[in-house]
Amino acid sequence: MFIEVKNLTHVYMPGTPFQVNALTDVSLDIERGEFIGVIGETGSGKSTLVQHLNGLLKPTSGEIWIEGNNLWSSKTDLRRLRSRIALLFQYPEHQLFEETVFKDVAFGPRNMGVEGRELEERVRYGLEWVELDYHTYSQRSPFSLSGGEKRRVAMAGILSMYPEAIILDEPTASMDPVSRKHFLARIKRLHQEGKVTVIFVTHNMEDIALLAERLFVFASGRLVLQGQPAEIFQSKETLEAIGLGIPVLTDLMQKICRKGKTIRTDIFSVEDACREIIRSRREGVG
Amino acid sequence: MRSLTLGHYLPGNSLLHRMDPRVKLVSLLVLIIALFVIETFLGFMLFGSFIFMIFLSTRLPWRYFFRGLRPVFLIVLITLILHFLFTKGGQVYVRWGPLTVEEAGIYLGSFMTLRLVLLVTTTVMITLTTSPIAFADGIEYLLRPFRRMGVPGHEIAMMMTIALRFIPTLMEEGDKIRKAQMARGADFETGNIFRRARNLVPLLVPLFVSAFRRADELAVAMEARCYRGGQGRTRLRELQARPLDYYGLTTVTAILVFIILTGV
Repeated sequence: MFIEVKNLTHVYMPGTPFQVNALTDVSLDIERGEFIGVIGETGSGKSTLVQHLNGLLKPTSGEIWIEGNNLWSSKTDLRRLRSRIALLFQYPEHQLFEETVFKDVAFGPRNMGVEGRELEERVRYGLEWVELDYHTYSQRSPFSLSGGEKRRVAMAGILSMYPEAIILDEPTASMDPVSRKHFLARIKRLHQEGKVTVIFVTHNMEDIALLAERLFVFASGRLVLQGQPAEIFQSKETLEAIGLGIPVLTDLMQKICRKGKTIRTDIFSVEDACREIIRSRREGVG
Repeated sequence: MRSLTLGHYLPGNSLLHRMDPRVKLVSLLVLIIALFVIETFLGFMLFGSFIFMIFLSTRLPWRYFFRGLRPVFLIVLITLILHFLFTKGGQVYVRWGPLTVEEAGIYLGSFMTLRLVLLVTTTVMITLTTSPIAFADGIEYLLRPFRRMGVPGHEIAMMMTIALRFIPTLMEEGDKIRKAQMARGADFETGNIFRRARNLVPLLVPLFVSAFRRADELAVAMEARCYRGGQGRTRLRELQARPLDYYGLTTVTAILVFIILTGV
């Protein structure tokens, strides 16, 4: 087992009038190489959860195990762990600080002790991944870039650490549709070709339906549903009750299905849906 | 980062909580004057028991009270030690090489310490029970008479309100940036002081950038809503003194007068 969360509870500011129970008794596990979707409404505890996975937050009670080692035992080197399980925060464009894009992207690997040739190679890899030309961008100031470019630099800064797992906290927030589609496709490739475990936090069902192999659904600090997207989307009422919903396509397919047509409902891309509807119509006629 | 609680207001519903902020500010001023008029230990005892009673009525946890005292603990300690060692006069109690502790030193040392502790206690009690926004409103009102002399009361209050409003926001932001850099392997916890200071750069640069960005956005938002200072501005919550406030004001004034007249 890669990541194991056992009975995790997290309370912010305990013992004050401002106490908040962010997570209550959450247990889950993630296998190496999986693509996980963590979904929930704003304030449902999903961001709190992912910050536990690389030791940025300490559980109030419960345990996190990484490859059979307790994360909060004294033996764990947290800084090393954080380069293996990388976390990209929401609006990462606000974390840039260096004089040049190169230095900013190099910050992560440099903290791991990478220098010289390899460092340059990693920065090159990171920038190429986010499709920023190395020569044009590496010597520019990150503060002179546009919002979208800054976010890509931040993403490059995470990838240059060559992480085994990458946690993305609402990475597509306020992205335009084209960049979003593009970004999701790249993530998919990173997962499939780079064999990177991806943990994708979002409240956008459309984002996650196509990509995730398994979903964890959170509501008010509890893990309420888990399973494959197609299974989860069967519980439309539960999802709507906790402020989420199901993807438009799934909704459509389910509605057609309820009209008595034989049609698959576990379809998440427009192309597949098109094909399936045509197929089902032909069958109906024939 | 979390331990830095500025403006540590604790919501509640006690008499002190419900009082008008202007009255609380004036009362605080009167009580501070009283503290400096007091000349005897008996005076401090009476004053102290008054504050103690008020504190009990607020039902605030003791923890917060001591937390409020913590920052001045060192100053109190230094005052005490300096007086013990360097104020001379009266009987000599302890002689240790060239250093002596004398009667006047002990007397003055404990006297000053008590005054300091009571001063801080009273102030902490008021700040614990008054929301920062109410405070700023109170200050704006109290500065009104000085407008003729060119004191921009409204602007001062607005600056205070904005500053206070953004403390939690910036702390949250700082916390987030700190975590984001830690996720990239930044180290804020080890090394000597110079190393640590240098390691703060990845935290401070984005924090400043974001503070300026926020300031800019706020200025635009205020201008978009035609903000033009205090002239003719009405307020959402009009401050209103109630009987409770007059009783409070009378009580503290009575205390001051009593102290002056009896000379305790």
